[in-house]
Amino acid sequence: MTASLASTIRQRVERIETTPSIPTVFLPLLQLLNSPPERVRLEEVVKLVSYDNTIAAQCLRVASSPLFGLAKPPESIKGAVVSLGLRRVETILLTCCMGQAFPAKKWVIDPTVFWRHSLGCAMVCRKFSEKIGSRDGDLAYMAGLLHDLGFMVNSLIFSAEFTKAVEQACREQIPLHQAEMAVMGFSHCESGRALAEKWSLSPDIVQVIAHHHAVENCESAHPMVALVHLSDLLCRVRGLGYGYYERQMVDLVYDPAWAILLKEHRNLEGVDLVRFTFELDEAVGEIFQMVSTIFGATAGKA
Amino acid sequence: MSIGTQTASAFAPAKAGANVDPIFRQIRDLVYKISGIFQLEEKLYLMADGCGRRMKVLKIQNPRDYWELLTANASRDAELRQLLNELTIGETCLFRSQPQLDALRKVILPQIVGEKTKQVVKRLRIWSAGCSTGEESYTLAMNLIEESEGLLKGWTVEILATDLNDRSVEAAKAGIYGDYALRNTSDHYKRKYFSPFDEKKLQVRPEVKKLIAFSRLNLQDDSKMLFMKGMDIIFCCNVLIYFDGPSKSKVINHFFGNLNFGGYFFLGTSESLMNLNDKFHLVHFPGTIAYWKPSLKSGKL
Repeated sequence: MTASLASTIRQRVERIETTPSIPTVFLPLLQLLNSPPERVRLEEVVKLVSYDNTIAAQCLRVASSPLFGLAKPPESIKGAVVSLGLRRVETILLTCCMGQAFPAKKWVIDPTVFWRHSLGCAMVCRKFSEKIGSRDGDLAYMAGLLHDLGFMVNSLIFSAEFTKAVEQACREQIPLHQAEMAVMGFSHCESGRALAEKWSLSPDIVQVIAHHHAVENCESAHPMVALVHLSDLLCRVRGLGYGYYERQMVDLVYDPAWAILLKEHRNLEGVDLVRFTFELDEAVGEIFQMVSTIFGATAGKA
Repeated sequence: MSIGTQTASAFAPAKAGANVDPIFRQIRDLVYKISGIFQLEEKLYLMADGCGRRMKVLKIQNPRDYWELLTANASRDAELRQLLNELTIGETCLFRSQPQLDALRKVILPQIVGEKTKQVVKRLRIWSAGCSTGEESYTLAMNLIEESEGLLKGWTVEILATDLNDRSVEAAKAGIYGDYALRNTSDHYKRKYFSPFDEKKLQVRPEVKKLIAFSRLNLQDDSKMLFMKGMDIIFCCNVLIYFDGPSKSKVINHFFGNLNFGGYFFLGTSESLMNLNDKFHLVHFPGTIAYWKPSLKSGKL
């Protein structure tokens, strides 16, 4: 990508703020997500959730859904937050904020499909972290959830070109980032990076967003980028991709990302990848249900 | 008051399998460890049903007593075989795994055809090892015929289908199937590749049959296995689960040797090779897993 293209993307991303309104809770939420879980106080979270009616309603709806099988649906925000657990509340807050920042009618790709992939990738990232004995499970989860942020940017400010890229990807059954490169000359990695930097996301998350399709382009060997790259691939071959068939063979163990991760985490060698894949299949139903519960009846309408 | 973080532990569905006795999860893990076949959490009830049927036969009331039987040295192997029979019963049908067929037609065939493009003899060889009553072999044959005017134009296709059981091989040769075996077969395929046999059954047409050579073969017969060379793709679904570790390992080594470089080996959809062969690469296609013998030019051997 040329310097002038990067600058164009940055300039157009700068204008995002003037188009849709980003929910007020978004920035405090990002701070919350960056702090260690043991320091997060229930009252703070409840306050954040209660601040926005839409988000509060969505939290209550998810907490009352059959997904949790609670004997009695929670009646208060506090009850909902307690029964959902911090991680789910974070996920709901973040997805709702994004949903509000990027209005459904402007999405080029189906938001339901987008969130299934992002949430699926987040779950795989965390589980993968646990399997290899990494202590960065929460960061991995967040990185997985946000890695494709650039698709939203592209939907919003490069809508015509991005629509063509999506059409080409579906038609030729190729990975979406390849179609983006062919049609637009850049991908969601670059536009996502511009937005992530504007929002001052943590440097690790910025690296993940920028390089999750090409780990070799990272400034230095970055295990978190490698982890998200592998998780993203795994999701795309297990029913959590972008809703179309990608003609591809994925060889995770011989992917350059595997070697990067292995160097940092020797436990990776002992991971039973087939069983891990089957276990992911078990979570797919829950992910589908979670996304449709968060978005309610509007799910599926791009 | 602290906020629980454990409820969202990834890959732990809140509801699925919640009503099933945890002992069946233990049995699921045991079955996976020994046979390589994995029962999904949401299908744990099938594991419970299968165990239930065995317990009824054995007149055992408590699942824990059945667990004892599955883990006691004297009875373990025989009972596990019986249980595997229960778990795979009724699984066989035509078009059993669409993701495998998609991988075959959309990714593997273009790759193999591309790699062999300079060869004078354009021949594709596929082996259905443990073909049972022929459902998989005919499914493959029909799918390859569909490609005969496209990707495989000018190619010779050979399917070898083998099974240990003579009666299965005879049934496979006859190619007569009822509704249950044809439950996943679309009208397009039924019309194009089958003729009515009687009021309830359809029979595979001769033009499909001629692509397949059925024969009896014991996968543990080393001398015969050595002659099965030159395969591009091998399917061996739900067969190796019955083998003990050393036999399984030996058969897999044969399969590796029988495959051409760049060839693929498929197991059943919930089956794993369990690291019994480190020369194969585990590869993923959308919705399915396979094992790949790297091509020489890939430099990954």
